[in-house]
Order: sequence, then C-alpha cells, then structure tokens
Amino acid sequence: MSKNVQSKAESIINHARGLRWQVGESFHDRAIEALYEEATTIAGKSVIIAGEPPRFNFDRTLDRLVTSRWTGFPIMFLLLAAVFWLTIELANIPSQMIAGLLLDTVHPALKEFGVWIHMPGWLSGLLFDGMYLAGAWVISVMLPPMAIFFPMFTLLEDFGYLPRVAFNLDFMFRKAGAHGKQALTMVMGYGCNAAGVVAARIIDSPRERLIAIITNNFSICNGRWPTQILIATIFLGALAPPHLAGMASALAVVAVVLIGVFFMFVVSWGLSRTVLRGEASTFSLELPPYRPPRILQTLYTSVIDRTLIVLWRAVVWAVPAGALIWLVSNISLGGQSLAEGVINWLNPAGVLIGLNGVILLAYVIAIPANEIVIPTVLMLTVLAAKMAGVGSGAGVMFEFDSTEATAMVLQAGGWTILTGINLMLFSLLHNPCSTTIYTIYRETGSVKWTAVATLLPVILGVIVCFLVAQVWRMAG
Amino acid sequence: MAYPEQCELCPINKNSKLVKLGEGSGPTDFVVALAGNPNVGKSTVFNNLTGLRQHTGNWPGKTVTRAEGAFSYDGSNYKVMDLPGTYSLMTTSTDEEVARDFILFGKPDVTVVVLDATRLERNLNLVLQVLEITDKAVVCVNLIDEAKRKGITIDDRSLARELGVPVVLAAAREGRGMPELLQSVRDVATGALICKPRRSWTADKKVKKAVDELVEQIEEAYPGLANVRWVALRLLEGDQRIIDAIRSGELTTLAEHGEQSKQVISSEKE
Amino acid sequence: MNPGEMLIGVLVLLAGASALFWPDRGLMARIKTSKLQADRERVEDALKHLYDMEAKGLPCTPEGIADALSMSAPESANLLRRLVSIGLLKAEGGAFRLTSEGRSYALRIIRVHRLWERYLADETAVSESDWHLEAEKKEHLISAEEAAALERRLGHPAYDPHGDPIPSAAGELPEVSWKSLTALKEGEIAGIVHIEDEPPAYYAQLAAQGFYPGLQVRVIELRTDRITVEANGNEIALAPVLAANLSVVSLPAEQIKSGIVRTLSMLRPGERGIVTGISQACRGLQRRRLMDLGVVPGAVIEVAMESVTRDPVAYSVRGATIALRKQQADMIFIEEKGGE
Repeated sequence: MSKNVQSKAESIINHARGLRWQVGESFHDRAIEALYEEATTIAGKSVIIAGEPPRFNFDRTLDRLVTSRWTGFPIMFLLLAAVFWLTIELANIPSQMIAGLLLDTVHPALKEFGVWIHMPGWLSGLLFDGMYLAGAWVISVMLPPMAIFFPMFTLLEDFGYLPRVAFNLDFMFRKAGAHGKQALTMVMGYGCNAAGVVAARIIDSPRERLIAIITNNFSICNGRWPTQILIATIFLGALAPPHLAGMASALAVVAVVLIGVFFMFVVSWGLSRTVLRGEASTFSLELPPYRPPRILQTLYTSVIDRTLIVLWRAVVWAVPAGALIWLVSNISLGGQSLAEGVINWLNPAGVLIGLNGVILLAYVIAIPANEIVIPTVLMLTVLAAKMAGVGSGAGVMFEFDSTEATAMVLQAGGWTILTGINLMLFSLLHNPCSTTIYTIYRETGSVKWTAVATLLPVILGVIVCFLVAQVWRMAG
Repeated sequence: MAYPEQCELCPINKNSKLVKLGEGSGPTDFVVALAGNPNVGKSTVFNNLTGLRQHTGNWPGKTVTRAEGAFSYDGSNYKVMDLPGTYSLMTTSTDEEVARDFILFGKPDVTVVVLDATRLERNLNLVLQVLEITDKAVVCVNLIDEAKRKGITIDDRSLARELGVPVVLAAAREGRGMPELLQSVRDVATGALICKPRRSWTADKKVKKAVDELVEQIEEAYPGLANVRWVALRLLEGDQRIIDAIRSGELTTLAEHGEQSKQVISSEKE
Repeated sequence: MNPGEMLIGVLVLLAGASALFWPDRGLMARIKTSKLQADRERVEDALKHLYDMEAKGLPCTPEGIADALSMSAPESANLLRRLVSIGLLKAEGGAFRLTSEGRSYALRIIRVHRLWERYLADETAVSESDWHLEAEKKEHLISAEEAAALERRLGHPAYDPHGDPIPSAAGELPEVSWKSLTALKEGEIAGIVHIEDEPPAYYAQLAAQGFYPGLQVRVIELRTDRITVEANGNEIALAPVLAANLSVVSLPAEQIKSGIVRTLSMLRPGERGIVTGISQACRGLQRRRLMDLGVVPGAVIEVAMESVTRDPVAYSVRGATIALRKQQADMIFIEEKGGE
C-alpha cells in the first residue's frame, strides 16, 4: 500500500474519532431507532393485515392454557412425566436386546475367536474384556433411552412448547440468579449432561449460561438412573414391607432427584452472587409461534444430531477406560493386583464418608462413563473380597440378571444401608463424566470454569456423604 | 399441491434444473450467503437448497455453527453458507461479527436474507443493514403459510419496489417459493438483474452531517467502494474490524472488487 | 544436635532467606515494588488533581494537593518540588501549572480511568457505585498498550458512563459546552450529559435519586437552599451542592419528550403503549438485546400475557412475542395508547 493511501487512511480514522465525540454517546441508539423507523414505514406499505383477525387465535388460546395459573403447571408436569415414562418404558426392551446381543452373544464369540487365532490371553483380555466390553456396555445402556428421549424432547421443542416452560418457571430461576431456560437444559441433562451443557447455548447471557453449564451435573443423567434404581431397590426397597418395596425405592429415587434440584438452585444462587457476580447478565426469552412439528424429520435429525454424536463421544471415552479397568485388575504388584492395592489404600477414606474403597476406585476409573460404574463396582467387589465362582474374572465387568444376586454380592462385600444411601448421593454429587467435562471445556473455552464445574460437585459430594455418615453413625 | 397462477414455475418444471449437492466439493461458480434473524426457517431454506439436514428447531439460537452446502442450478455450481441467525449486524456479538464479516469480506455473489412473514417489521431491520453492505441481495419472505393463517398478506411487489432487490414469497417447509428463489439468486449472481438497494435511513441532522463528511473522505481515498455510507456509519460507531480494514488496505481490495464488477456490468450492457 | 535436625534447620533457614530476598518475588523485592507503586500512584493522583483544577480554572496550591490526596503539607510540597524537577510541573507565582508533558501524562491516566469505567459499565455486572473506585485502582496498573487493546475491544467508545469524553491515545480531548444544572432558569428543559463522580458519596446519592446521562430534566423551582426538577414524571428535590455536580446541555426542540412518563411494567394485560425510551441505566448487553428484539422508541408494545407470578410478562412487539422481567420493564418508558 502506498504512503499516500496510508496517510489518507489515518486521517479518515482520526476524523471519525473527532466526529464520534460530536455525534455523542446516544448515536448508536438513534441509528437503530432510525433503522426501525424506516422498517416500520416499509412494512406499513407492504404488509396487509386482514380487516378482521381470525376469530379463533390458536396461538393465543394455547398460550393462555399453557401459562395460566391453573392449567399451566399441571400440563407441564404431565408432559414431562409422559416423556420420562415413555422413555423408561420403551427403552427397556431394546436395551435388553442390545445387551443380549453385544454382551451375551458377541462378547463370548469374540473371546472364542481370540482363542481360535491363538491370541495371547492378556491381549484378548485387554481388547475384549476391557475395551470392547466397556464400549458395548455404554451403547446398550445409553442408546435406547437417548434415541427415545431426545426425539420426544425435540418434538416439544419444534412445536414451540419449551420456551413456554421457561416462561412459567422463570420466577424460580430468577430468584436463584439464573435464567428460566435453565429448566430446559436441566431436563435435557436428565437425558445426558453433555447434551444439557450444549443446550445451554440457548441462553444468550454469559452469566446465566455459565450457571446453567456448571449446575447441569445436578441432573442425574441416563447413565446414573440405573445406579439409582438398582441401589434404591436393594437397600431402601428392602426396608419397606414387600408390597410397598417398589413404592419405597421409587420414592427414594425421586428424593435424590429433588435433592439434585435443591443443589442446582442453591449452587446457582451461590455462583451468581460470588464468582460470577461480575459477568454480564441479561434476560431475553422469545415465545415463538407454535408450529406443527414434522415428526419424521425430527426423528432423523435428533437421532443424528444428538443421540449419535453424544453416543460416539461416550464410546470414544469408554473404550480406554475399559482398558484401564482391565489393566488395574490384572497387573499385579507384590502378590496383589493394582486394583486391590488401591482399594485397600482408599478404603479408610471411603469408609470415613460412608462409602468404601471399591466405590471410590470405581468412580475414579469409570470417569468416562457413569454407565459402567455399577459393573465396575461389582467386578471390583468380587475381586477385592476374593469371592470364588462369582463374576467372570479379574477386569471383566458384569451385571446380574437378578437384583437378589447383586444384593448378595454387595452385602458380602460389606455394604450396609449407609453405603447404599451414600452411593446414591455420591452418584448424584460427583464430577461429571469425561465427555461432559470435555464438552464444558469446548462450550466455555475456559479451564477455570471447567475446573469449577468438575470439582464443585465432587467436593459437595464428599461433604454431604461425610455429614450423612457422621449423623448415621451417631444415630445408629 | 397445485398453484395454477404460477404454473410455468411449477416445481416439476423448474426444480428439474436444481441438483442438490449436499456438502458439495466440486468447483464453485457462485457463493450464496444465507442471512436472517434467528428462528425464521433459515435452516429449512438451506436444507431445501442443498439436500442437507441441518437441525432446525422452533427456538432462537439453534443453529450455532456455520454450515456449508452446495447445489447446482441451471448449469452453474453454487456454494451456500448458512450464516448464524442474528437480529442485526450492528452490535458486537460473535455471531453478528461472523455474519457481517462474511457478507462484507467473503464477497458472496448473492446474499439471501430470509425473513419471517409474521414478523416482517422486526426482520426488515436486518435487511436494511444487509442492503447497506451489499447490493447483491435477494429477500426471501418465509413462513407465508403461517402468516396467512394469522390473516397477514405480504405485498411482494411493493416490498421489492421499496427495498430495490428481488423479493420471493416462500413457505420453505413445503418447498413453496424455492423455484422462484433459485431464479432470483441466479439472476442476481449472474448480473442479469442489477439491484438498487434502498439506503436512505439516517438518525438526525448531526449524524447526517458527520456521515456526509466521512463519505466524502472515503470516496476520495477509495473510489469504487460499493458501500461507502455503511463504512462511514461503522467508523462513527468505532467498529474495530472496519478500522483495521482501512489500515490494512483490505478496503482498497474491496473497492477494486466493486470497480471491477461495475466494469463487467457495463461491458455486458454494451 | 544430630545431622538430620541440622539439615532441617539449614533448609528452614534457606527457605526463609529466599522468601525474603528472592529477586522480584521475595518479600523485600515486593516491598520495594509496592513502595514504587505507591509512589507512582501518588504522583499520578497529584497530576490528575492538578489537571482537574486547571480544567475548572482554579489555582493549585500545596495545601490543596495535601487536602485532596490526604497527605501532610510538607509531604505535598515535597511531591510538587519533585514534579517540577522532572519537568511535569512548573511554578508560576504562588501556584503551579502543568507542563505539556505533565498534561499529557495526566490525560493518559484519565483515559485509562474512563475506559475502564466504560468497560465495567458495558461488559460486566459490577455495580454502578463501584465503577469509580475500581477504576481508581486500575488506572495505575494498565499500560498504554493495554489501554489501546481495551479501547479496540470496546469499540472505541467516545464517552465514559458518566458522560465524560474519553481522551484519545494522542491526548486529544474535545471541548465541551456544558453548564451546571444550577445555571438553568425555572421552567427550562435540558438533558443531563455528565454526572461528576467525585466525591463518591455525592455521586452515589445522585445515582440513587435516578439521575443518569441522557435523562431529560425540567426545572420546577430554583431556591437558594433547594432546587426541584422534574424527570421521568417524578419531582426530585436537590441540594445545590449536589445539583452543581450535574452538567446539562440545552436540548433541541425535536428531542424534547413530552407527556406523562410511564414505564412498561405499569401496563396490564391487553393494554398497549408506545415506547418512548430505554433508561440509560440499562446498558451493555441488556440494552443491545432489547433493541435487537425491537424494543426501541416508536415501537407499539402490548401486554400479551402474564406468567403465574406476574414476572416475567410476555409482550407483543413488532409481531413477535417476547418475555421481559419486571426489572427490565421498569427501565422501558412508554406513552400509553388505548387498547383494542
């Protein structure tokens, strides 16, 4: 560029700076105002509104219904309950089918194949018992509910109902310094925390978006539901008389969900008043017109966009975890496996907070996916207690078909009702899975917030479990 | 569905020229940018053109990543950039910067602005800003079916006259209006149709005086720049990207680009 | 003493010594830097004060400096002598004047101060009463390059949130034609352009009374002990010392807004109004978002529906339905228009 042009450029820039002082501070506002004025003029000439508005305004009527004092909340609860109920009911069958195929048919076949090609035992163990099994487990637990939950959620979204939920619930979130849309990211989190974190993009205010991201983990995700239900059935359902057992364990799970909601509000409140106080904050919520959802396309896109992407990430993380799980249980140091050593070392700390070494180790090595926590716990319990004839060997995750068998193993491993209760609490309050941690990092671009989102729940979990254990022991 | 009044434009007739190329990878003749407010069905238009399946949701802020696709129409290959949905190109969010930068520096051959027929007034705000930047634009008024249900009719001719660019009425979900949109895009891209975009709004006397002063200076330094007035307004706003463009000489390239296309057009006329 | 204990003793001694004398990081180095920093702050504050007095056309004396920077008279005399010796200040008669270097140094500090206030106002949620104090600290810590980067990021703001012009990097500052609110006549209408942010207690009171740059005021009554103005439909009484901290300009006739001012939050379902303005207290992201949604002067806005707790409320504006919280609706001024 020539000197001449350069100097011209500088003189233009300087001139503009001088003019900025002259046109004053409100220039931006006035420019936008003028722009809209022009838009109004043009629209006035080109938009023809029929003399009589249609007698029946569908949007208005529906809006009155879904936001009114008397019908709004019941409709909301019914819809959300229906979505959850359908997910649980419908996911069971394909889940069992996939598990039957991947775990009971393909896995033995792979092992046989390993023998047939004279694969060394350690390699076959690492590949098939460690990596393959972890990946397969995640798929069978995760895929069916997500493939049902996400499309249903997306249909509600496409219809335009979700913003109304945010509108209804905003008053609660406002008090906690959060955005009403957080209700939706939370519900999304019940499906998958990583998806919930991504969904926080709909919140366009930095502070509220960070709050939604950091607290999403307080929604127990689809990988944690089975843990909650199983442990509630074994330890709390058993406390009630047999005909009320189902009810008791269901109530226990609901209680954990409510505790999660409670922590979500408290932590949101705390964050917005402390570390996030300085972040810019605003509220905007548009209530778009209702649109008939297009079911087939929704099915397609939500399976592709959400389910498969999230599943893929989970599998990618789970496979190395499987390898790690297999390795720690099979590498021996001084006569005992690495896992046993760590379990013994962690046990005092675990017992102090009403858990045990097995659970702590399982949560450390199963960071990548909550789905494999229970299988890992079972495998490690058998390994640590040196039970013979149970399970499938060191490093091979397994689950029982019957709750009773699981209960027996756990009780043999020294579990008490306190262990059960605290495991449920710890499953709610612990660090997010690595997929979610990674997603949080991607979404916030900040190590600091990722660290807060990761460590905060775990610290809370340890404190809560410790307090419960102390109270329990004092009382009992 | 049949639309007797536009039978020569029937989907069967014209759509046959359209080949959806998905993400596309071949050579590109023209670049089309898709701009629009959030939640106006921009992604649906994008999917209709390219055959891709970007997720669309009835919820502002759904499309967050920039999507790219391609189609071939009437013998030419088009690349489509789905820009993030924005309410304006003025303020300072990243989305708006991405959209603005692409329209200005990406030099698309056509910028299609998708509007929501039921909220035309608010959407026009963005159109007016786009028209300040580029004179190669097509306005696609989407969701006319929804508007009709609400008793709203859009006079496309009047709108086209007011804006000075082609206006197409569409209901992208049903594929209505897509053949007309393709035609207009082609006409503007090839230069068969020259737009005279409306650029008239100003805040008040003080601003007008300031803008005029700057316009004069800029025109002198960068003859041929297609959007002097807009650059002047942005300078007054203190837009760093534009200041940088002036310093780095990027604006000179844009000016040359404008000059060239004018020459092409005038030689075609002769 | 056994060798182990001796080793530990030596290590402790070593650790203590390095904590004290480590270059740049040690306690001594820190004390030295913080002393230097404190000194720098004192010099800069003095220059700022001198600049301020000159701008107001007031003479500057060692006593004045001592008072403003809360130091003793000998200390301030010492400081002034030093400033003269490094060429930032020259003595003329009994008073001191800034040299051109001194003035541009002062302007650099003021520039950083105002830029930082702008940043706090637009990009953070730091409360209005804290801006000035935060900027008072930051102005000594930000380098010229950092200030330039901040300016770029903020989009080259021309004014700080109190209405003061921000000096350019070259030290230019526009002439302003402000007058004090006390100079207005009864019945006169003017727009507030600047609120003096010092002393902070006065500023806090003015802010609490609802004054902000851009506010339109009409003088109702002028008395020696009290000035009453009307703003946004409210009558506000002011002590003259406070009123003197408000700078105003006369408004051109077309910009004067008339009519009873009401806020959007006063509308009930089915009622509609025309937006007349958004309070300046609504800034940065909040303001941008509202304008994006079409809430700008001239827009017709109608209450569409209330949520269960009446907060948020959904409004129809320009064909769209948007929900706003009460806190936002309070900042949007409207003129009522009959319902359907």
